[in-house]
Amino acid sequence: MIRVVQEIFEKTVARLYQHLVTYVPPLIVAVVILLAALLLATVMRWLIVKATKGATLDRFFRDSGLASAIGRSGQLRATSLVAGVVYWAILGIGFLTAIDVFDTTITSRIVEATVFAVPKLLTAGVIVLAGFWLSQYLGRSALVWAVNEGVPYARRIAIAVKVIILFVAVVVAADTLNFAERVFFAAFVIFAGAAAFAASLAGGLTLKSLLERSIAPRRHESVEQHERSLWNHL
Amino acid sequence: MPDWIMPAEARKAAESIGHADIVVGVPSYNNARTIPHVVQAIQAGLIKYFPKFSAVIVNSDGGSSDGTREAVLSTSVDLARLLILSTPLRAVHRVSFPYHGIPGKGSAFRMIFQMAELLEAQACAVVDSDLRSITPEWIDLLVRPVLHAQYDLVAPYYHRHKYDGTITNSIVYPLTRALYGQRIRQPIGGDFGLSPRLIRCYISRQDWETDVARYGIDIWMTTIAVAENFRICQSFLGAKLHDAKDPSADLSAMLQQVVGSVFCLMREYETAWLAVRGSAPVDLFGFAHDVGLDPIEVNVERMLAIFRAGCSDLGEIWSLALEPATLAAVQRLQWAASSVDAKPFHLDDELWTRMVYDFACAHKHHRIDRGHLLRSLTPLYLARVASFVIETKELVAQHVEDKIEGLCLAFESAKPYLENRWQDDSKTEAARHPFSRSAHNQQNPDPVEVKL
Repeated sequence: MIRVVQEIFEKTVARLYQHLVTYVPPLIVAVVILLAALLLATVMRWLIVKATKGATLDRFFRDSGLASAIGRSGQLRATSLVAGVVYWAILGIGFLTAIDVFDTTITSRIVEATVFAVPKLLTAGVIVLAGFWLSQYLGRSALVWAVNEGVPYARRIAIAVKVIILFVAVVVAADTLNFAERVFFAAFVIFAGAAAFAASLAGGLTLKSLLERSIAPRRHESVEQHERSLWNHL
Repeated sequence: MPDWIMPAEARKAAESIGHADIVVGVPSYNNARTIPHVVQAIQAGLIKYFPKFSAVIVNSDGGSSDGTREAVLSTSVDLARLLILSTPLRAVHRVSFPYHGIPGKGSAFRMIFQMAELLEAQACAVVDSDLRSITPEWIDLLVRPVLHAQYDLVAPYYHRHKYDGTITNSIVYPLTRALYGQRIRQPIGGDFGLSPRLIRCYISRQDWETDVARYGIDIWMTTIAVAENFRICQSFLGAKLHDAKDPSADLSAMLQQVVGSVFCLMREYETAWLAVRGSAPVDLFGFAHDVGLDPIEVNVERMLAIFRAGCSDLGEIWSLALEPATLAAVQRLQWAASSVDAKPFHLDDELWTRMVYDFACAHKHHRIDRGHLLRSLTPLYLARVASFVIETKELVAQHVEDKIEGLCLAFESAKPYLENRWQDDSKTEAARHPFSRSAHNQQNPDPVEVKL
């Protein structure tokens, strides 16, 4: 009995030892790599922030209108953004290098899949970012236009513009990533159909209004004359 | 030589004419109804007041489809009926060409200036094509100060209805006067006399393809002349009666182009205006007289409705432009605008001045897309106009002019506020780039007191 227990214990210890011998050195190496990556990322972030002080980049962001479009306060710091991207990129590379040290099937697959997905992820990210920027810009344009023209529900119009553009950007990004393509495509078709219907309705109503005006030109002229006189002084 | 926007036939025509002492330009776009009167007045003015000078009337057209160009060329002048008995010694040529480039008044002017440069004109005048009140005397008043008194820019001085020209009265005149220290009453009047020296300065510039190509041209011309120390005077032209504006022309776009041009030029000429304090009158020629004016109908309620909508929806944009105290004051006004019948709506001069100065600084510091910023000014501008209309309802012209003078003084006295806010960002920039021009100017402030 004691012998059996002893055997089991010895086997367990041997297995544990084997595991320790197999995994602890790579684990230590992985931790070292991660720490080195963390250190490098921190140093790089510090260098970017301190060395450039962001003058050129910040000015570019400000002058191109990106700062106000992305950052709601209009005070987006390009330096912080770039430093953040570099920081996380170094950490990400460090993480992949660290798990690659284990040289197992799973870790190799993770690394391989990540490396292959990076370009697509980047592309999709850029598409979403561009869509976000465009939605902010055009949404604001629509808002200001609607207010100045006295169009009711200006804020809702602006939100609708933003949602439409963001939705299109997400559909394109999902297509790039081959992620739930059919779902997004179907949603997009329904959405585009609704938009076309709304546009046809608006066109029809405008045409009706134009026809009414052409039928009653005198009445239209007097209204327009009145409208003109209201704004002439400006 | 700068970019030519003249069509080949225009250059040929200029070469065949060879030389002209005076060039009078008329920009046009679908003005067939009004332009014959303008051309007749110009021709009569040239024959009556400048019979010894060779002259060319240049119509710079934006692609009219109503026969504007034909009207210009076919209009005849009955000299006997005008009691012009002397025979002109030199011919008055008349040409009409379409200009190339961005459609707008600025591009039309550009072609006229290039024509004047080619013809080596001693003086040039430009007048709007929709004028109903132009007389032959206008040409004399715009051209003679250039030819005989060596002025570089002759700005117009009109009698206008108290509700006419509110962009001028609310923003452009007070701001230009406070910035550059010269009281040019109609800086965007549209009718000017120009010297060849000033025309060369305009032609050599590279910013023609901006808002200058459209409504920004008038303030651009005036500001450059005043900021670059050209000699400026004004001529009293009487009443300005003109056609109704194109209803398709969007007020926001107009405001954006005019105010955007002022703000852009503020950045370019900050060394010229930062040191200026107070303002001085500008020489005024002509015989001042009272005139009858067309009544103008205004819809205060609609203006206030747009202002209220702005308060509800544009707060986020305004918060990027206005100082917190100014924004709070604007939001308080929203309540006053809602109860216009109970308590008269009033937007005071000091608050309006701060708004304009805040927008100028936000434009400079690019806190938000400049197009959005300028267009978001429209509801505030309409609130100011509504307030002005309510306050001046019972006032006669002279008292209205006194109110405008009060606004100008508010702009002048608040200028230190503008300078502080304007330089806030410059100080940071100066620390980064200690050898830049703006940093140098900042380190060497040399305030100039304008003699009153």
